[in-house]
Amino acid sequence: MDESTRHKWDFSSSFYDLLAYGPERRWAPFKREIFANLHGKVLFVAVGTGQDIRFFPPGRDIVGIDISPRMLAKAQARAANYTGSLDLRVMDVHALEFPHHSFDQVVTSCTFCSVPNPVAGLTALRRVLKAGGILYMFEHTGSHVFPFNLMLDVMTPLWKPVGPEMNRDTVANVEKAGFEIQLVNNIYLDVVKTIIAISPA
Amino acid sequence: MERRFYFLAGDALSNGIMGMTTAWLATGIVDPTWHMATAMFVGMAAGMGLSLILMPIFVGLFGAMEVMLPVMLTAMLVGMAFGMAGAMHVLTTLEVLLGGGFIGVLVLLLTYAADARIRRKSL
Repeated sequence: MDESTRHKWDFSSSFYDLLAYGPERRWAPFKREIFANLHGKVLFVAVGTGQDIRFFPPGRDIVGIDISPRMLAKAQARAANYTGSLDLRVMDVHALEFPHHSFDQVVTSCTFCSVPNPVAGLTALRRVLKAGGILYMFEHTGSHVFPFNLMLDVMTPLWKPVGPEMNRDTVANVEKAGFEIQLVNNIYLDVVKTIIAISPA
Repeated sequence: MERRFYFLAGDALSNGIMGMTTAWLATGIVDPTWHMATAMFVGMAAGMGLSLILMPIFVGLFGAMEVMLPVMLTAMLVGMAFGMAGAMHVLTTLEVLLGGGFIGVLVLLLTYAADARIRRKSL
């Protein structure tokens, strides 16, 4: 377990929901759209305080993990209202305790801006996905466009101690982890996007 | 492009307030005895520092990247512009607030245009 990451998100859990009010409402239509695709056995990575649970389609079989016990404690109340199977567990994405090929789909939501070693984390997700399994991601990434790339580079060291990194090339990381990219859909600039990728056979 | 009134109004409010407060702060620090280059850098740093204080409020109410990026750009540009302007001559409060607010809204509109262009290219 990565203790420094766990401490960071345990600390952030106290004010996370306050800062998430605007972003979650702004992103709601896009999250609903991508989460509508969920079916089969699904792994949701970085549940946080459970803000995304209301976007899950009802009746699905979902395992949700997060590195922070305090975040998950807040998510429990939201999970209790979900009309399907939702099992929440404390777990580090770098050290997944699931057998190989145990999920049909994996979902992430603003996750790989924060995972300390994104390629290793994504490789671990490939291990637990079945061959042909789908990775759905809703992420914010770095930009390739000036001046937004400069702004994100400036913001990253300022926000990193309590939150995410702003300048990651998550699409490239997904490819480095061995996934085949199916779709990248820009939602805001080239920064907020949905990514759909397949774990090759 | 965003079409919901709450978020459009929030974007305009965030950038307008950021521009006005940055201009007010930069011209409050700098005066015509300053060298223009020094005033520009101090104005920029003051704007960016102020944006870190105000940003959590705007982000919490109106969105994440959609707020952060234009607001930080506004803070940087208004800080530079009004740092330099403050080193050249004394500005009235009305000039400072209107100018800062105008640049803030202009930055927001340019960001909307960039967003539309980038997303159109990616289709």
